[in-house]
Amino acid sequence: MDKKLPDNKLRVALTRNDPAAVEMMWDRYASDLFAYLLVGLCSRHDAEDVLQSVFVKIAQKRHRLTKARRLDAYVYKIARNEASRFIGRRKRERKVKSLDESWLVVPEGHKEPDDMVEQLQAALTRLPEQQREVIVMKIYKQKTFLEISRFLGLSHNTVASRYRYGMEKLRTLLGNILS
Amino acid sequence: MNENAENKEIEDILRKAHLPEPSSKLKEQISAEAVKAWKQTSPELPWQVPVRRLIASAAAAVLIIWLTNNSSDYLMVQWQSSGSKIANQQRSDFEELTEIPYGPLARHLVSAGRRPSITDASVLLNYAETVRNFLSESQQNGISKPSAPIKGRSHLFPTQSRIGSYS
Repeated sequence: MDKKLPDNKLRVALTRNDPAAVEMMWDRYASDLFAYLLVGLCSRHDAEDVLQSVFVKIAQKRHRLTKARRLDAYVYKIARNEASRFIGRRKRERKVKSLDESWLVVPEGHKEPDDMVEQLQAALTRLPEQQREVIVMKIYKQKTFLEISRFLGLSHNTVASRYRYGMEKLRTLLGNILS
Repeated sequence: MNENAENKEIEDILRKAHLPEPSSKLKEQISAEAVKAWKQTSPELPWQVPVRRLIASAAAAVLIIWLTNNSSDYLMVQWQSSGSKIANQQRSDFEELTEIPYGPLARHLVSAGRRPSITDASVLLNYAETVRNFLSESQQNGISKPSAPIKGRSHLFPTQSRIGSYS
């Protein structure tokens, strides 16, 4: 994420009030935010909906974004708020999220058995959300603990311990695959 | 196997799958919505922020003062009504004790002492005048003259037969 576009260039684009900044924001954040929402909501369809509302919010709050001390943390905060608002709405409307929906996929060219991916997804889904998001960011988005702590507004130690606890649970949940 | 090696094994297994990326169709759709929202939102002028904060603070202050006034008025009414109820109750209790020496004077003084506090100077003077008149009248009528105490019995306590048994 940090390698894609420096903060100051993005801030300048936002300050100029140029709608082209939306494209820059997409290039920098879309992939990571989508992963973050995917593991939080456990539904590809819901993640797409919330991603849209996150980008609309970013466009509406662009003036505050330019003044934010940490751009990444601010964007993740918007995503977190939108996701929790969506979950609240889902609860109020008594919609049950589809557990059969697949949000973890096998890369093209790889020949992993489908049931293994299903087991991985089931194991990740059974983790507490806070541990799941750290593990997914670390493993699938190759983020360091420091980067994750900045995005989530947590201390480095908290992120590391969430990762450790999550891995301990996964060791139990994936016992049959590991052996 | 140590923890790091076990974690490495789990990480390797997890990496056999991956998370999907947002599609280009989704990018087009979301970008269009975001640009639309961008154009609909007017640029925020620098002076608008402090003015908005000032208005919000003033509104909050007015609301707090209004709530405080209302609640204090309500509590005062409650307190006054409960205070007068207690005074009436105590007065009636006291009137049941008929055997107290200096009965009328004592009753008057007690009931006067239980009135709500008097803050107005003229009312206080009137009250003092009333008490003085009452005392002088009492003295003239001979009410204030105490009856001769019965040997071995106090003036301050009712007789044993009236109030029950003292152990």
